[in-house]
Amino acid sequence: MTPPTTPTRPGSRTRAVTRRLAGHLARGLAMIWVVTTISFVIIRNIPGDPVRGQYETLIERGMSPDQAERATAALYGFLPTGSLWDQYTGYLAALAHLDLGQSLSTPGTEVTTLIGSAASWTVLPVLGGTLLSFLLGVTLGVYAGIRRSGRLGDLLSISGSLLHGVPQYVIGLLMLAIFTTLWPIFPAGGPVDVEFTPGLNAGYLASLIHHATLPVLTYALASYGGWVLAMKSSVATVLGDDFILAAELRGMSRGVVFRYVARNAILPLFTILALSLGMLFGGAIFIERIFNYPGLGLLLVNSIGARDYALMGGTFLVTTVAIIIANIAADLLYAVIDPRVRTAS
Amino acid sequence: MKRLAAIAAALTAALAATACGSGQGAGAGAVYTTIDGSKQIDATAPINPFNPKGSTFVGYDVMALAWPKNDLMDPNAFYPGLARSWTATPDQGEVVVHLQPRARWSDGRPVTSQDVRASIGLAYTQGGTAYTVNAGAAGAAADIRVVDERTVAIRQGANRSNAFLRNVLSTVIVPAHVFGHLLPADFWTTLAQARGTGKAAEAAKAEITGLSQQVISFAPARDVSAGPFVLERVNPGAALLRRNEYFYDADKIAPDRVKVLNYTGNEQIWNYLVSGKLDSAPFTAVPAAVMARIKRTPGNEIRRGYSPVAASLAFNQSHAPYGDPRVRRALAYLIDRTQMTRIASPEAGTPAVTTSGVHADAARAWLGAGLDTLNPYPVDPAKASAELRAAGMVKKDGRWAMPDGSPWKLRINVPASFSDWVAAAKSITSQLNDHGIDASVVTSADYVLYLDELAQGKIDVGFWLMALGPSPYNIYQRLYGPANGWQLLAGRLRHAPPGQDGNWMGGPETIGGVNPGELTNRLNLATPEEQKRIVGTLARLTNEQLPVIQLYDYVNTQFVNSTRFTGWPPSGSEALRLPAGVWMQLGLIHERSP
Repeated sequence: MTPPTTPTRPGSRTRAVTRRLAGHLARGLAMIWVVTTISFVIIRNIPGDPVRGQYETLIERGMSPDQAERATAALYGFLPTGSLWDQYTGYLAALAHLDLGQSLSTPGTEVTTLIGSAASWTVLPVLGGTLLSFLLGVTLGVYAGIRRSGRLGDLLSISGSLLHGVPQYVIGLLMLAIFTTLWPIFPAGGPVDVEFTPGLNAGYLASLIHHATLPVLTYALASYGGWVLAMKSSVATVLGDDFILAAELRGMSRGVVFRYVARNAILPLFTILALSLGMLFGGAIFIERIFNYPGLGLLLVNSIGARDYALMGGTFLVTTVAIIIANIAADLLYAVIDPRVRTAS
Repeated sequence: MKRLAAIAAALTAALAATACGSGQGAGAGAVYTTIDGSKQIDATAPINPFNPKGSTFVGYDVMALAWPKNDLMDPNAFYPGLARSWTATPDQGEVVVHLQPRARWSDGRPVTSQDVRASIGLAYTQGGTAYTVNAGAAGAAADIRVVDERTVAIRQGANRSNAFLRNVLSTVIVPAHVFGHLLPADFWTTLAQARGTGKAAEAAKAEITGLSQQVISFAPARDVSAGPFVLERVNPGAALLRRNEYFYDADKIAPDRVKVLNYTGNEQIWNYLVSGKLDSAPFTAVPAAVMARIKRTPGNEIRRGYSPVAASLAFNQSHAPYGDPRVRRALAYLIDRTQMTRIASPEAGTPAVTTSGVHADAARAWLGAGLDTLNPYPVDPAKASAELRAAGMVKKDGRWAMPDGSPWKLRINVPASFSDWVAAAKSITSQLNDHGIDASVVTSADYVLYLDELAQGKIDVGFWLMALGPSPYNIYQRLYGPANGWQLLAGRLRHAPPGQDGNWMGGPETIGGVNPGELTNRLNLATPEEQKRIVGTLARLTNEQLPVIQLYDYVNTQFVNSTRFTGWPPSGSEALRLPAGVWMQLGLIHERSP
């Protein structure tokens, strides 16, 4: 299957790989700079006075005006000051030292601390959900592609299309209504029961899994349809290739042909998977909000609501960097798993 | 493969069984489950009550000297907290506080006057009405004197305010042996310098306010509480507090632990309530359908009481035609408040009996029979037409137009996230359209943006919270305060022109020789009798001029569940608005017998 290649010297090959990597990194850094600059400008120009908003919110919650005033003054004792240019240069200088600043909405707490805490909670449901839906979607997508004229194929395609069309939040709300109120076997919110001491003990781990089940399932169901349909389409394309016909003519078993099809059809999906893992750091905003899961998506939403500039910028940055890295990784990975791409480069 | 599947299934079942039995492994005893209505949990926040997001919970592990009663008129009515009792001179020139003799911190040390003094010192770094470094400010404390181990005297400065006692009693007390080091050794000398004038005073003020961030950011390693509970653990989903064995009234506290659940929005609170998870929950706006489901849950009950807040329709009087009181009165005659409240807030609101600036319950107490003399603005299209014609408005093709014949488009702005306000605005516009006024609703993406648009004068007509009692000053300050041009700076009142310095209401500075801002400011200094007279004047003025149309008065709606605990404050109780931790301190909450 691998076409013949012209022999190359090891040194020149290493140089080529290094050049390719350097090119990716340079483009990545440029993209990070552009995105951070754009997000900085957008964030600083969002209308709304967070100080007044905080005061009125506390009043609405029943706090007396005096208490609300004290709490607000304490919260916003240090709003960003200076010209936009000064703020921008200060922001870039701090960024160069990986200093994302202090959160306005959680005074006294570093943005990196908040992002680190949220990222750890994002990984479990989003990574778990992504991998679960990928495995299910890809496996069933192969069957749907091979048996696309049969009942099973139709059933899988319809299920994929249906789930692909239902918004994430609708699935989340349905899961919440069914499994927390109608049939209350899962907790309605939070990442883990606070009564268990954190650590590697059965109670804590069980509680962790118990709380993550609904978010993971929601994420998996919401993205499963996409994988099934993409895989089915890819399989249909590969099935028409000459090497499959040749394999069948050579009398190879169905299992071997299935493997050939699956291995070749999955290649484009790896790129999507790598990008999905990059998006993981953007969190799953709706799922995290519905299940009160304190991940990056929820952090971003809350930071926007509180006009917490530093936190907004930090969260955007982390998401951007993750996607860019995933992009580079997908590109390199593709070259590794597909010899045709490697040879071309 | 089958064996692997069997092992996985067994492991999952075991994990699920362990998780479903949560709480059993953490020790027996009654667990009280609730939410904190004032903030969402942030597990990264320090255990510090000065931090607005701090992992501390008022009434449970945060103690004030006393807890305010939900009184209709008296802002100085309090339940004892860390202060067993207190006395104040008639002019509130000096407040003497006597601490609970058995009060101890959760590490066993006694709560002393030094803790109060240190807490007041720390409060100065945060600013505030009683503890401000600005000596000229009304109601500022001038001197803190430790009388003995359990008695402290706090003296008010020369510029007196009748809010002084309330502000002193609301002081949160923290342990000096944990927080005290945040105050420099020469803090009290610096504070004395800050009360003077000149460069040295300015430098001293800057030094004290400069400590603010340090105090807010301070993160003690563990919670040291004088309240009935002490924080054991917090994660992003909940906080767990255990009983403080050193609490001065420990025998009154029924639960062994308190679990405070986090929430990201109202829907989550509804979900907790529907599933019967919460023993109590503070007021949350609930749609009628959800309320019906909440009521169906076994054990769920509702307690209702006075809530000193009202919703109103406010006008930017700089924008035509809303500067004309006749137009505002015409609108008041066209709005059916009963119908609107039934749609917008059937459970947590009652239609305003009239516009007085004061919640109806408190208005009766303040005004007595005087309330009945105010114009109730019943629905009366004929009077509305007469008012509009008197204002020069004209009717063309069945629609009201501006005096010059141009179309009158009435836009009511509301923040999209306030479902009751959105519903109320839609009801009002529907009614106004029926009466020939081209009215529609415009939503702002969120509350912060909405307030920003109000302040920038972009909104003609919008919703506004008002009647924030029990202090009469706070009540009228919402109508005749900064939003309408009157600002109190360093004890001096000034009026900013419309469109400047936050004056978006743009009302006149004087009306018929009465300056409502000055009268409002006097409420802070007046005797109770004088306050009654001023409230009477302001209520009449507000009723005639309608800077806002009072739409509905909020009802404090609390949710309790009697499955595990009983003894809830009854509807209408003065304790109803306080956190459940204070109910426990008052000896109200008991574990239900099996």
